[in-house]
Amino acid sequence: MKKLLTLLTLLPLTLLAHLNIVVSYPYIGALTKSIGGEHITTTVLAKGNWDPHFIIPRPSLITKVRNADALIMNGAQLEIGWLPPLINRAANPKTSPSSPTFLNLSHHVELINKPSLVDRKDGDIHPDGNPHFHLDPQNILLLANVIKEFLISIDTEHKEVYEKNYKEFFDMWSEKIVIWKQKMQSKNGLKVIQFHDNLAYFNKAYGLTNIGTIEPLAGIPPSSKHTIEIIELIKKEQPCCILHDVYHSTKTADFISQKSGIKVILMPHDIEALDSIDNLSALFDYLTSAIK
Amino acid sequence: MKKILLSSALCTALVYGLDVLPAEKRTFDQSKFIPDISLIMDASYVDRNVKDADVKHLAVPGVVHGLLGSHSHGDDNHATYNVDNGFNLNYAELVLSSSVDPFFTMDGIFHFSENGVEIEELFFTSNALGYGTKVKGGKFNSNFGYLNEQHHHTWDFADMPLVYESFLGMHGINETGAQIQWTAPTPFYLMAGFEILQGENEQMFGNQSVDLTVINPLAIPQTAEASDGAGLYVGYIKASHDIGDTTILGGISYAQGDSMIDHSVDEEPTVFSGDAKLYGADLVILHALDSYSSIKWQSEFLARELDGIEYANNSLGVFISPTMLKKQSGLYSQLIYTHDKNWRMGVRYDTILQNDVIENGVTIEQPDGLDKYTAMVEYHTSEFARFRLQYSRNNAMFDEDGERKKIDTIILQANISIGAHAAHSF
Repeated sequence: MKKLLTLLTLLPLTLLAHLNIVVSYPYIGALTKSIGGEHITTTVLAKGNWDPHFIIPRPSLITKVRNADALIMNGAQLEIGWLPPLINRAANPKTSPSSPTFLNLSHHVELINKPSLVDRKDGDIHPDGNPHFHLDPQNILLLANVIKEFLISIDTEHKEVYEKNYKEFFDMWSEKIVIWKQKMQSKNGLKVIQFHDNLAYFNKAYGLTNIGTIEPLAGIPPSSKHTIEIIELIKKEQPCCILHDVYHSTKTADFISQKSGIKVILMPHDIEALDSIDNLSALFDYLTSAIK
Repeated sequence: MKKILLSSALCTALVYGLDVLPAEKRTFDQSKFIPDISLIMDASYVDRNVKDADVKHLAVPGVVHGLLGSHSHGDDNHATYNVDNGFNLNYAELVLSSSVDPFFTMDGIFHFSENGVEIEELFFTSNALGYGTKVKGGKFNSNFGYLNEQHHHTWDFADMPLVYESFLGMHGINETGAQIQWTAPTPFYLMAGFEILQGENEQMFGNQSVDLTVINPLAIPQTAEASDGAGLYVGYIKASHDIGDTTILGGISYAQGDSMIDHSVDEEPTVFSGDAKLYGADLVILHALDSYSSIKWQSEFLARELDGIEYANNSLGVFISPTMLKKQSGLYSQLIYTHDKNWRMGVRYDTILQNDVIENGVTIEQPDGLDKYTAMVEYHTSEFARFRLQYSRNNAMFDEDGERKKIDTIILQANISIGAHAAHSF
């Protein structure tokens, strides 16, 4: 009887202590889980193998936001086309952008490629700068710290656990950064072509230069005129390769590859983008080995 | 020379000088509080095999008069869609939205058209209550069914499904009132909502008394009395489940209200006064092929019951007031294939299934085969500009002599938006 009573009193306590954190993308989920450990559960809204700009706002996602204790998003307008109506329909005060349980990661990172002039004649641009900042491994450390502080602020009770987990993650990741840097050393100075400038931060971290994109302007599908221009550019500038995301069709890239002789390399942008990538380290292990 | 120098210096000062202070340093600057703004235009070129003047006199027998024409009432400022042969500037939609304070947001959606300006929607919403509860007040599109809440520019076709337009008009249930919605804390999506609305819809509801002496000076009673005040209640439940990359959303809806259908100034004047009930069932299945490509199957069934008295003149010009019972239903089913970010195409089937009109207990025979077939293809230059070519064959329209008029319509529609990035709901 006593046991049952203790169980009954403990049950709601453990339920309460367990924070349900909804995040927009898989990488945020993995990072948050690394810091939060057993005190949190993470629910990821977007699928890792889909274009992060275009997530279908399925009604099931409304329920996920509705049941959340906190929400962590990438920000910098990456979610602008799909997250606002989900938050609005979920009507959860804890996931309102003005709430202390809401975290916009982009506010804590220095964004690059911020356009000086914001005009849609230049395509569907991100006015705050390039939002794909998590592909610089240094930024992952920065974000880990931001998430640690965030978790402490909403769950002070487990401060020590979060700090300990963060320390472990920091040490592990710092070692990896050294390894990845060594692997990428010989690639410094290479020129690359992309479909969309997803890898701006990755390129910056390892000294790669993006000289052109297959899409003529951000968000505008490839045109034959622009494709010919890219083939000309490749012949002139001799980039090593086309770094291609997993969610756009490689049809145009394959055509360019055939005409210019440079290879197309699939570059996953997030966990689950390819089947083999099931954690954050695996993502960077893959990215830093992809260019041969 | 000096003069030229001086004036050019002055010009430079004027051009640059006034703009020297950055926004954040201007005293009393409020520009940071500007709400999100977007402007959407919708225009079309229409080629219809029936003259504009004739279209206004066509009817879906037993259901509605003047479906495709501009509204017969002179006193409203609804935007109309694709009414005329040739070019139509359907509307400019201005959308303003912003937080009010920590408790509310406000959205305003205005339709500017050649008929004037209409407040399409203007409402405040609060998400501050918690427990998945959302409240809304103002003028808005009811969440009845699936399509009703959506604006014209997010529809997959240039016109409304036949059953919607026949029962509710091309703005659907668009009313002033209050709404409460609750999303359940279930592992799957489950939402229930309730609305109390004014009930002014011209084709189905209505809460204004009508002077019957307009129909006939000898009319008894002299007025068709209405309830005054809010008279329309709407409730619905929606649920959704995902199976892999397939999402299924289903819902059932019910609306009940006072009805006053005022055609007292028409050529053959009638006024219907009574009670109206509307039942709805909707099912949407979307299968995503990849980030940009999908197949969507969307169907809705509507059934209504109008029970009351119809005031009119008989063939001898004598005022009559028979009891009238209308039991009608219809459905549409459409399939849309999104190929990529540029191309979409789709087909739609419309039909009126049941059309029972019972006057003084006697069924008045109505024609069968009230259906419509539509096909469309769209090209998007970007997320912000869409061009659509649509063809439809409408077999549901009859002229005043009771002859069926098959209507073939080709619509080339342009829908362009600027400003804040639109985010679409499912």
